[in-house]
Amino acid sequence: MGAGPAVDVAPVSGEELRVDRPWLVIVWNDPVNLMSYVTYVFQKLFGYSFAKATRLMLDVHRKGRAVVASGPRERAELDVARLHRHGLWATLEHQS
Amino acid sequence: MNTPEPRPVLVRNGDGFDLALSPDERALLATIPTQLAGALGRVGGADEDLPEALRRLFPAAYPTDPAAEASYVSLVRADLVEHHREALEILATTASATHLSDDQLGAWLAALNDLRIVIGASLGVTEEMTEPDEADPRYSDWLCYDYLTYLESLVVDSLAGLLPPTAPTADDATPDDPWGDPPGGLRWDGTPQRPDP
Repeated sequence: MGAGPAVDVAPVSGEELRVDRPWLVIVWNDPVNLMSYVTYVFQKLFGYSFAKATRLMLDVHRKGRAVVASGPRERAELDVARLHRHGLWATLEHQS
Repeated sequence: MNTPEPRPVLVRNGDGFDLALSPDERALLATIPTQLAGALGRVGGADEDLPEALRRLFPAAYPTDPAAEASYVSLVRADLVEHHREALEILATTASATHLSDDQLGAWLAALNDLRIVIGASLGVTEEMTEPDEADPRYSDWLCYDYLTYLESLVVDSLAGLLPPTAPTADDATPDDPWGDPPGGLRWDGTPQRPDP
């Protein structure tokens, strides 16, 4: 591996870091949605592999919630809306 | 064993699926989506006015931020109601079909899931819930819920078979294995069993 191009990394202030905090898309456990359905929805909406979608589904099921995606607010809100269309209990949270 | 193999409910055929259901099942599937679609047609006012079971179809995106939630609702609610209604109508109008396109089966999945959410909420379903006694007033709703669960599982399995293959990523690594390796065959996440050390 050769050395990459030299990059000047500007010091980032705490304020700027806060501005860049991503929004988290969280799915909560509910007693109705089938485990196979939740796995399928994660695969279909986010393009996750069966293994990753299953792991997230099990996190939701066993821990009560899982972060399934993150990003800028508009993107995260769109993901929540897509999850709501599929009947999943999804919320949006600004990463602390 | 002389019992004939039961006919599979959904079979891939051409650009869709062949569907084998009994007349009773088709009658149920033609009726109950219409009832829910009718109830959704009356959605419009404040969420507080919605029956509790229907409210479950419209979860909050910002449960702790009323201003952000109000703006989210004004942005997506009308679309969401229409999406649910459309899926329920497709299920009701294709309940007697013997062949469904992939898109129609997708609408079936959405409608079956909506029906399970609303019936499940009105039954007060929990993960531990078992079949109520026949004398229980909830018994007929439970039977309906149980049937929808069975049918939805079949639909999920059929549609999952259509998902495009994904390239393996480092993210696929499973940190733990909740059920342990079975004595042979595939592990819980569908990967081959690990060789003995």
